[in-house]
Amino acid sequence: MDNTKGILGTREFFAILIITIGTKLTDNTPSALFEKVGSGAWITIILMCLISIIPIYLLTKVITVFEEKNLVEIINHLFGKYIGFIVLFIIWLVETYSTVLGSAVYADIIETLYFVQTPLFILYIILIGVAAYGAKKGIEFIGSTAWMTLIGLNIALFVVLITAFFQGRINYLFPILGNGMVEIIKESTTNASIYGDFLYLGLIATALRSKNVYKKGIWMGYIYITIVFVLSVIAYNMLFDYISIVQINYPFHEAIRYIQLGFLTNAESLFLPFWLIASFIRFAFYLYISALLFGALFKIKKFEYIVPPLALLIVFVGLIPEAPVFSVFHMKEQFIFFTTPFFLFLPLIIWMTAKFKGELKK
Amino acid sequence: MEKHKIKKFINKLITEEHESFEKAASEDELDKSKRIGTNLEITLDLFKDFYTVPNNSDVIIRNIEIAGLNKQAAILYISSISDIKVIEEFIIQPLLFNKEETKDIEIILSSPKIQKYQIIEDILKQINNGNTALFVDEEPNAFIINTSNFQGRGVEKAENEVVVKGPKESFNEEAITNISLIRKKIRDEKLMVESTTISKRAKNELYLLYINDVANDDLLNNIRKKLNSLDVDSIQNLSVLEEYIEDHKKSIFPTILYTERPDRAAEFIEDGFIVLIMDNSPDALILPATFWSFFHNAEDHYLRFLYGNFIRFLRLLALFITLFIAAIYIAITNFHVEMIPADLLLAISSTREIVPFPALVEMLMLEIAFELIREGGLRVPKPIGPTIGIVGALILGQAAVQANLVSPLVVIIVALGGLSSFAIGDTNLNYAVRIMRFPFVISAGFFGLYGITALFTIVLFYMTSIKSFGVPYFAPMTPNDSTSKETIFRRLLNNEIYRPGYLKPKDIEKKAGE
Repeated sequence: MDNTKGILGTREFFAILIITIGTKLTDNTPSALFEKVGSGAWITIILMCLISIIPIYLLTKVITVFEEKNLVEIINHLFGKYIGFIVLFIIWLVETYSTVLGSAVYADIIETLYFVQTPLFILYIILIGVAAYGAKKGIEFIGSTAWMTLIGLNIALFVVLITAFFQGRINYLFPILGNGMVEIIKESTTNASIYGDFLYLGLIATALRSKNVYKKGIWMGYIYITIVFVLSVIAYNMLFDYISIVQINYPFHEAIRYIQLGFLTNAESLFLPFWLIASFIRFAFYLYISALLFGALFKIKKFEYIVPPLALLIVFVGLIPEAPVFSVFHMKEQFIFFTTPFFLFLPLIIWMTAKFKGELKK
Repeated sequence: MEKHKIKKFINKLITEEHESFEKAASEDELDKSKRIGTNLEITLDLFKDFYTVPNNSDVIIRNIEIAGLNKQAAILYISSISDIKVIEEFIIQPLLFNKEETKDIEIILSSPKIQKYQIIEDILKQINNGNTALFVDEEPNAFIINTSNFQGRGVEKAENEVVVKGPKESFNEEAITNISLIRKKIRDEKLMVESTTISKRAKNELYLLYINDVANDDLLNNIRKKLNSLDVDSIQNLSVLEEYIEDHKKSIFPTILYTERPDRAAEFIEDGFIVLIMDNSPDALILPATFWSFFHNAEDHYLRFLYGNFIRFLRLLALFITLFIAAIYIAITNFHVEMIPADLLLAISSTREIVPFPALVEMLMLEIAFELIREGGLRVPKPIGPTIGIVGALILGQAAVQANLVSPLVVIIVALGGLSSFAIGDTNLNYAVRIMRFPFVISAGFFGLYGITALFTIVLFYMTSIKSFGVPYFAPMTPNDSTSKETIFRRLLNNEIYRPGYLKPKDIEKKAGE
């Protein structure tokens, strides 16, 4: 009777994708964009979207060709034991490090914006603790939870966006091209901060009902993410203008402080729970992926058991940077700069290897 | 590993052995599996031994001489659970007044149902069920005549799952009546009533009800296996059985649905679920159960489409209010004060001014008091019930406010949460929600909305991972199932054409034929 073990449908996969990548628009990812390109940030996103079509398409192609394999097995299969190990190890390192940075940022948001008096350590422990609980349960439950909360989260987001449109000023959108077309192109090719995470979704490809689900979920999510990102970057721009937005580290949280909902002049606590749920699910997914990769690297079958030690490790490493508002922000920018080529070219290399080996013709 | 060994060793030292007791029980078993002999005297002595007659006052043995055949015979029955009139009219009279000499016993008796048994154990079981055994000299069989008549109450109105519109009758303590109530609703020759004995000593009978060409075989076998693996002396009723067959015994969420309404049970049977019925239980167990089956109510479908969905919406609201209102009050007053409009904030703080406790303590105090009143009110003898209600609600609430123990706003919030909890009809879910309120309040006291959300996410992760007999707890919402969309809101009956796909029924469409 146990007919649903480990199987994700399109809805759940889509929900995971939207929540894990979509939450990025609530941290410091958007303000990093504004720094270089000014008010042209939303155009940058569209360009980024267009550029990342190629790697995402190639990756999806390879993954759908290998019916029974997920990305780990594909990499091992194509590159052999040794190079495969190195590639997977790099992915694991990059993923875990970005989880550390990301969770440090989120804990910092909670501490500086909402719970000023509570120690960072405890907030961080709860954040990762809840995520670890979800990751330990398994991907299908992360997916189910993501789907169940998705509607609520989206309603909350759109309430924020729509009020921001009404309360912002359209003049702030100009100059449309911001700091110029050159900057926009430069930024959009060296920043995979949004679309890089699509790579991780290939790792859970075998947990899906079929590869068709994977294809559908990826493209639906790709379009939805782009629309939401463009809309929210425009909303931030209309609320704060591109000059002051660079000073703001977390534009989403400033935005929910800025907007008014009727008689509620301070509505940020109303949106806090939704954002928190999304963050818990996001880190549950990242922890799960990190454990999955670790398990694949060192041949540990029941990799769910790696989640608690990994979670502890992430908390302690994440606590190291002092004043995360500045240091982590800077580290994240550096990190994205270095990893972007990796995300852009890895799918290309995988696809080319598969092509030369003649695996794609089957 | 080492620890485990030491534990085992210590356990061995501590536990006493009960070998002698076990032996006695097994010897008893041996005796029962024999056949009865042809000698009436010996057979009767044997049964007298089993029932310790004459000390056992309601076990009656009556010797008869069958007229015409001129044979010695005896009937054995338990007077408190048999119908004496039937025994007299259909057994004793025909035997005494028989005139023909060559007739079979079965032909002489005029009772509607007669069975023959030889094994002692079977005969004992039949007698214990209220039937009468007739032993005849020089006859290797015992004749079992159906005379059972257990005392019980009639079919009454449902008390816990009240509806305004729709059938009102409810199950009672007799399994036969309950089955007939369901058969009255499903006149289908494929409706199976399978019976099994689930306990070793008390021999409690359990009835599995399902529709043969709808219910999934794997699910059925799974349940049968679970029932057969039970090794207990006695299971009094379904409420006890529930715990024996549950997958998550210590979980806060129920995984088996318990209903006292035959119409609800019938509805579930028709959808491919399996229903358990037992004597002594004024209810039925429905399995597998999802979160939605606890959330739904029989009336949702009896009311018109819009009204039915309206009460579902109210119930959802009640669920959230019960769970969160106290916690949110604590979180907002302690952590997120800026959220409240200034006037309201001043009003709250002026009422809180005179209260000497922190808000969390105040809230917990009143919540616990409310639970006490509720539990006390439930157990209080009927005649003084209303009085206690008045004392509890009026005097306690009013006096506590006047004594500056609690602020009026907290009374309002606890009362609202308490009232809302009554809108959740299912007893099990009701308890789950009421208990969960406390962790939410405490987490709100420590971390405000952050604590509430963290706990809520954990609960969601946990709930999605629960399975009831292999069915995920939130099916069909997630994992996604396109067949049945019966979750928060109901659909038009015309559109509810599929049985729930998560049960893998043999017949997925509710429509007959094409």
